[in-house]
Amino acid sequence: MSAQVLTFGALNGVGIGMIYFILSVGLTMIFGLMQFVNFAHGAFYMVSAYAAFAVAQWTGSVLPALLISPLLAAIFALVSERVLLQRTYNLPHESQILITFALAILAQESMTMIFGTLGKNVPVPEVFSGVVILGGFVYPSYRLFVVGVAAAVAVSMWVAIERTRFGAVVRAAAENPEMVGLLGFDSRKVFMAAFAFGGALAGLAGALAAPLRGVEPLMGREALAIAFVVVILGGLGSFSGALLAALLIGITQSLMSMIWPGGAHLMIYGVMTVILAFRPAGLMGRA
Amino acid sequence: MLDRRKILAAAAVGIATPALLRRAWAQQDAIEIGSLVSLSGTFANIGEQVDIGSKVAFEHFKSAAGKPLRYVQLDDQGDPGRAVRLTQDAIRDRGIRFFMNCTNSAIALAVAKEVASSGGVYINQAGADEMTGSLCNKNTFRWPVATYSAVNTTVRPFMKQFPDAKKWYTITGQYVFGDSLLRNLKDVLGEIGAQHIGNSYHSLSDREYSGFITAAIAAQPDVLCICNFGSQTVDVLRQAVSFGMKRNTKIVVVWSTGLDQFQSLGPDICDGVYFGANYWHGVDTPGNRLLTGVIKEKLKVTPSYLLTAGWACTQAMVEALNKAGSTDVPAVIKALETLSYEGPTGLEKVRPEDHQVLKDYYLMVGKPKSKMRDKDDFVEVISAEKAFLAPEKTGCKL
Repeated sequence: MSAQVLTFGALNGVGIGMIYFILSVGLTMIFGLMQFVNFAHGAFYMVSAYAAFAVAQWTGSVLPALLISPLLAAIFALVSERVLLQRTYNLPHESQILITFALAILAQESMTMIFGTLGKNVPVPEVFSGVVILGGFVYPSYRLFVVGVAAAVAVSMWVAIERTRFGAVVRAAAENPEMVGLLGFDSRKVFMAAFAFGGALAGLAGALAAPLRGVEPLMGREALAIAFVVVILGGLGSFSGALLAALLIGITQSLMSMIWPGGAHLMIYGVMTVILAFRPAGLMGRA
Repeated sequence: MLDRRKILAAAAVGIATPALLRRAWAQQDAIEIGSLVSLSGTFANIGEQVDIGSKVAFEHFKSAAGKPLRYVQLDDQGDPGRAVRLTQDAIRDRGIRFFMNCTNSAIALAVAKEVASSGGVYINQAGADEMTGSLCNKNTFRWPVATYSAVNTTVRPFMKQFPDAKKWYTITGQYVFGDSLLRNLKDVLGEIGAQHIGNSYHSLSDREYSGFITAAIAAQPDVLCICNFGSQTVDVLRQAVSFGMKRNTKIVVVWSTGLDQFQSLGPDICDGVYFGANYWHGVDTPGNRLLTGVIKEKLKVTPSYLLTAGWACTQAMVEALNKAGSTDVPAVIKALETLSYEGPTGLEKVRPEDHQVLKDYYLMVGKPKSKMRDKDDFVEVISAEKAFLAPEKTGCKL
C-alpha cells in the first residue's frame, strides 16, 4: 500500500474524526459541567435527524434544518431537563443512566410510530453535491462542509468557554456551584442553559449527519456508542480531550479500513483499551 | 370428601384443560400458521414489513384445504434462541405444525431444525445457502434464491453489457451471507475471465464506510460490487456515491431488497447503479398483478420485496395445503415438492431435491429521476433469469 494511499486514508480519518467530535462534544460538555450521564444524547441526535428529514421534505433542502434542528433539540433537552432530569441531579449515576435511557427509548419509539421503521433519505444539498479532487484524493464536498462546521464549532466553543464571562461562570459553576450562587449567579439556570446547549449540539450533529447516513430509528443508539468512546477516551468532561480522541479514533478507523478492514471497528475499542490502560482518566482527563 | 390427592389431580386437570381445549379447538376449527417475525430489535424494520405482507395474504386467501386460516404472530425480537422457544411453545401449547417467515438466516436455520424435529412444515425467506444446502431438511422450504443464483443472475448479464469491466473490487459483510456472496462472485469472475482485485470486509456493527471506499478508489476498479444486506447495503452505497464513485466506476449491488432500499436512498443515488433483486413490482405476471392489486387496495402502497416475501411464503403454504387437500404434514410436504404455481415472479416451482423454489432473479438499473413514471418507478429491469446450482452440488441430502 503506497504512502499516498495511506495519506488519503489519514485525511479521510480527520474528516471522520471531526464528525465524531461534533457528535460527542455536547455529551462531554454536559458531563463536565454537571457530572450528569446523559444516555438521551443519542435521542436528541436522532430526533433532530428526523426533524432534518421533515424540513428537507418541506423545503426541498436540508440546509434550513441546520438552524431548526438544533433549536428543536435544545427545546427537547430543556423540557426534559425541567420536567424530569433536574430531579435526578442528586441521584446516583445509575439512576441517571436508567432515566435517560428510558427517555431515549421513548423518543425512539415515538419516531418509529410517526415515521415507521424503514430508513428515510435526506438528499445532500445541491450546493454540496459534488466532490473535491486533490491530486488523486476524492472527497465529498458535503463531508468537507461538515468538517468546516465542526471546526467552527470547536473554535467557537473554545472561545465561549475560555474567553468570555459566561464561560467563566459556567466553569466556576462546574467547580463549585455553591460559591457561584453566593456571588449572585443562579447555578440552576447555568446548568439549564448548558443542558439546552448540549442538546443543541447533538441536534446540529443529527442534522449534519442525516444526508451522510440517512435517518432511521436506531441511529441514536449507534451514535451514543461512538460518542461515549470519544468522551471516555478524551477524558470525561474534557473539551480538548474530545477533539483529540475523536481525531484519533477517526484516523485509526480510516487507516485500519485499508490495512485490516475486518478489524477496523474492533481497533476503535483496541485503541481505547490501550490508552485507558496507561491513562485511566483518558487523554486529557483529570485523575 | 376432598383430600390432598384429589385437589392436586383437579388442579392438574384445571391447568391442562385450557391448553388441551385450545389445541383441540385449533385443530378442528382452523389451520393455525405460526409466523416468525422480529417486531422489535435490530431487524424490526424487516420483520414489520414481512408481518404485514403475510397478514394481507391471510386476509386475501382466507382458507386452505377447506378450513379457515388463522395467523399466529410469533415475535422473536431478532433472537434465534427466542424464535426456537416460541416455536416449541406453539407446537406444544397450540399444536401448530405449519410455520413460515424469518428476518435472518440464523433464525431460519434454528427454527428449521426445531420444526423438522417436531414433524411440521416451514417455508422461509432465508438467504444463506445452507438452507437448501448442507443444512436442508425434509420439512423446510425456501422462497428467495440462494446466493449462487443471485450472483450468477446479476453478474453474468451485467458482463454481457459491459465486457470490458474486468477489474472488480468488493465490499463485503463479514458474516455467512456476505461470505457466500463473495465466494460465488469470485467463482463467476474466474469463469468469465474477470479479475477480483481486492476486497474490504466490514463487520455487522460498522456504519462508517469511507475508509473502505477510499481503499476501493485507490484500487481503481472498473466495478465496485457490494456484497452485504439490509441497511448496510444502503449505507455503503450512499457513501460510495457521495465519494464520486459513479464517475468512473460501475456499482453493482448483488443482493438488494428493492423498493424499500430505493426509497431510503432516493433516485439520485440509485441512478445508474445496478441492483440484483428477488422481486420488482413492475414485472407483469398474473401472480404479481394479483399481489400488487391486493396490496394497493388494502395498504395503499406499492409492494416492496419484504411485503412480497411475507405474501409469497403464505401463498406457497396455501397452494400446498389446497393441493394436499388436508393438513396431514406428509401430504403437504409431498404437495410442496411437486408444487408449481403463479407466484409474484411468474411461474414458480419447488425443486424436490433441495426444497428450493425455482423463480426469477432480476438485474435492474437505477433510472434518472426525469425518467421515473411515478414515485416508485426507480429502476428498469434488464434481465430476469433463473440460475440454480445443480441439486447434486448443493450439498443437500433429504
